[in-house]
Amino acid sequence: MAAGASSMPSVSERAPPAGPQRDRLIAGFAALAIAIHILEAALPSPLPGVKPGLANVITVVVLLRWGWGVAAWVAGLRVLAGSLLVGTFLSPTFILSASGAAAALLALWLAQRLGGRWLGATGYSVCAALAHMGTQVLVAWQLFIPHPAILKLAPFLLTAALVFGIVSGVIAAVVVDKLEAGPEAARA
Amino acid sequence: MKPLRPADLVVIVAAALLVGASWAALWSGGGPAEYAEISAPGTVPQRLALSSDAVVEIAGRLGASVIEVRAGRVRFNESPCVGRQCVHAGWLSRSGQVAACLPNGVVVEVGGGRREFDAVSF
Repeated sequence: MAAGASSMPSVSERAPPAGPQRDRLIAGFAALAIAIHILEAALPSPLPGVKPGLANVITVVVLLRWGWGVAAWVAGLRVLAGSLLVGTFLSPTFILSASGAAAALLALWLAQRLGGRWLGATGYSVCAALAHMGTQVLVAWQLFIPHPAILKLAPFLLTAALVFGIVSGVIAAVVVDKLEAGPEAARA
Repeated sequence: MKPLRPADLVVIVAAALLVGASWAALWSGGGPAEYAEISAPGTVPQRLALSSDAVVEIAGRLGASVIEVRAGRVRFNESPCVGRQCVHAGWLSRSGQVAACLPNGVVVEVGGGRREFDAVSF
């Protein structure tokens, strides 16, 4: 799994293992993402809706290494199990979280389709962060608070998303690097 | 893998442009105004709702100032003053903005909704 993959042009993606191994991979990364998700939920936030979104790091890392399918599983499980653990399942928070994650995954899929050969972790992360935030604002505005003031918040929130997207993208790039360089044991 | 590839920079620049556009499109300082309050010498200030278009003539010290309401904005269309500062102030649409024709004694202030500033002057 290691030798052939390093000769791939630029994306460090490799075929995910099949069967139970794939499940274990997904479960492991989902658990990591959930842990980050919960840690972040405990952090106070200066503005409602602004979170660093560090769980995104996991999604991007998994996307770069094992492809979109595994990343979608990890992100989906994170939203579902994370909300169950935090206690927001099926609440507005959950709906926002789920729609944001779905939009981010869609953006990642598009980004990979359009520019997968050239894009690195930061590019993916920024795409995902903006799609996530943009969708959340729209959903919040459409479903929960149909007041123009919500849209006025959008520039603030999108700016935050851009900044945090870049930050978590750089973190993801470093993590991918370490995974690439690390011992075989760190890969599975 | 380097943390930033050229394509990542392209994405970041595009994203920054998008965010900038969102500022331009959605951030308008004070909230949209809902009414215009027109004061003229010797009269009780009158309010015009910005929701319905209208052209009114307000009698001032020198003569009639023409004030136009259109599409949620209001402006001095004409005033019998010398400098026409009031006309050059243009459209008022954000809560808190003021245009005044001092020679004629006519003041238009828009209000309602959320205000960012107590007043905006030029």
